[in-house]
Amino acid sequence: MKNPSPILLPSVRYRRRATVFVLLSLAITGISIYLNFNPLLLFTEFHYVRDLIGEMLPPNFSILWTNKTILGSVGQTLAMAFLGTLAGGTIAICMAFLAASNTMPLKLVRIFVRALLALERIIPVLVTVLLFVIAVGLGPFAGVLTITVTTVGTFGKLFTEAIENAEHAPAEAIFSVGATRWQVAHFSILPQVLPSFIANFLYAFDINLRVAIGLGIFGAGGIGLQLYMAMKVLHYPDALALLCVSTALIMLTEKLSDHLRKKIL
Amino acid sequence: MNLQDFSLRRYRKRLLPLSILLLLVILSARVCGVSGEGLRSGIIKGYAFLGHLFPPDWAAFPEMIGPAFESVVIALLATFFGVFLSLCFALAAAANISYPWLRSLSRAFIAIERSLPEIIIVLILVAAFGLGPVPGMLALTLGCIGMLGKLFADAIEEIDIVTIEAIEAVGANKGQVIVFGVLPQIMPRVISYAMFRFEINIRLSVLLGAVGAGGIGYELDSAFNLLQYHRAFTALIVTLLLVFIIERLSGYLRKKIKVEGALK
Repeated sequence: MKNPSPILLPSVRYRRRATVFVLLSLAITGISIYLNFNPLLLFTEFHYVRDLIGEMLPPNFSILWTNKTILGSVGQTLAMAFLGTLAGGTIAICMAFLAASNTMPLKLVRIFVRALLALERIIPVLVTVLLFVIAVGLGPFAGVLTITVTTVGTFGKLFTEAIENAEHAPAEAIFSVGATRWQVAHFSILPQVLPSFIANFLYAFDINLRVAIGLGIFGAGGIGLQLYMAMKVLHYPDALALLCVSTALIMLTEKLSDHLRKKIL
Repeated sequence: MNLQDFSLRRYRKRLLPLSILLLLVILSARVCGVSGEGLRSGIIKGYAFLGHLFPPDWAAFPEMIGPAFESVVIALLATFFGVFLSLCFALAAAANISYPWLRSLSRAFIAIERSLPEIIIVLILVAAFGLGPVPGMLALTLGCIGMLGKLFADAIEEIDIVTIEAIEAVGANKGQVIVFGVLPQIMPRVISYAMFRFEINIRLSVLLGAVGAGGIGYELDSAFNLLQYHRAFTALIVTLLLVFIIERLSGYLRKKIKVEGALK
């Protein structure tokens, strides 16, 4: 910080803290009343959670090999996340090159692509998946398209900033010996940003796997749908087994992606 | 430079990863039923469908304000509770404050929490507590712990140990060390992360609404399911406005509280 904060008397400091504290607690109480949320209910009604857990235990792991579709749905979820990440990431890279000021000379194109990216970022996943389910029908394809769109929204801006922050000197050096714009982008900027892009792809896959499981509920299939169905028909032991599978899947992916990212960067 | 530099050998290093990647793409495209034909007809169908959305049902606009407010309020309350709980878990999970057994316990809990998507948590909570905003709020609170708990714990492990030692040297107990030594150092980061999480919570509360947590997500989903597309479009506009305003507000506030190493 440039200007150090002025030294306050302890009395002033405490009064300020007390004001913030009171305002916060007032806000929390007000909102809790508005939502009909009584924190005490968590303790008095905890027996519902206990009953549910009692019904869930023991997890019915035998469903994993008796029901052949489960393994297929795990594959579907993984494939959905993988394809969505790859397609979305690739589109995001292309759009980032069109939106970065050092690779795209035309200001109009830049503004247009940036606006598109900003719009994509604010469209909620719920809307995207509902639209795609109507357009291409129920199934993992709708999930792939949804994940593609969200990934573009999340990473387009990030990639644009990465490209704009790339070192200028190599680009100028190549440009001065007569390289075209395309060659500058290919031989100077891409090698600089590619490692961080790949690391971001891995990170995106990690996140998209969670999204893919969630999207199953809205008709994209996969393990999320199986879990939803099991909850709906009150087969709680099956649901717990599926829950364990999806948790293990996410944890493994996270560990793997962390490991690979550390290797790349 | 000789001829060998231009042979296939030069590209062999890239050939293997690329072919594996291609194989994976083809395999998963088959699993997901991706087809160019489906995409083409889908674009036509989707475009025709967008025509059904217009014009938005402006009469339903006032009805959307209440649910939108509810979504914001769910996200806000979940952020408050989530930040508070995350701080507790982070203090227990930081190597320089906590005991080793407590640390591994807390880290394990945070890791499990992180690997449960919020939408799955809400499904379970709805089964336990019934429909309504409260399960959504609780799910978002638990989701906060998964993300913020880890970030806060890492922030606490990076703090300046000299301050802690100085406070300990004049005889402070553990509680005083935390209140006067640890919290002031991580507070700017806590606020910045909390605002980032609030943004995420807004988006998630829209999504969770569709599985029964109420708010604007529920309106959107039910309008879609009842084929009231004009009404759905109104809900969509309200949602977009909401997310846009919150994003701008949070971005502005986070720029004011500049922190090194903060999330963008």
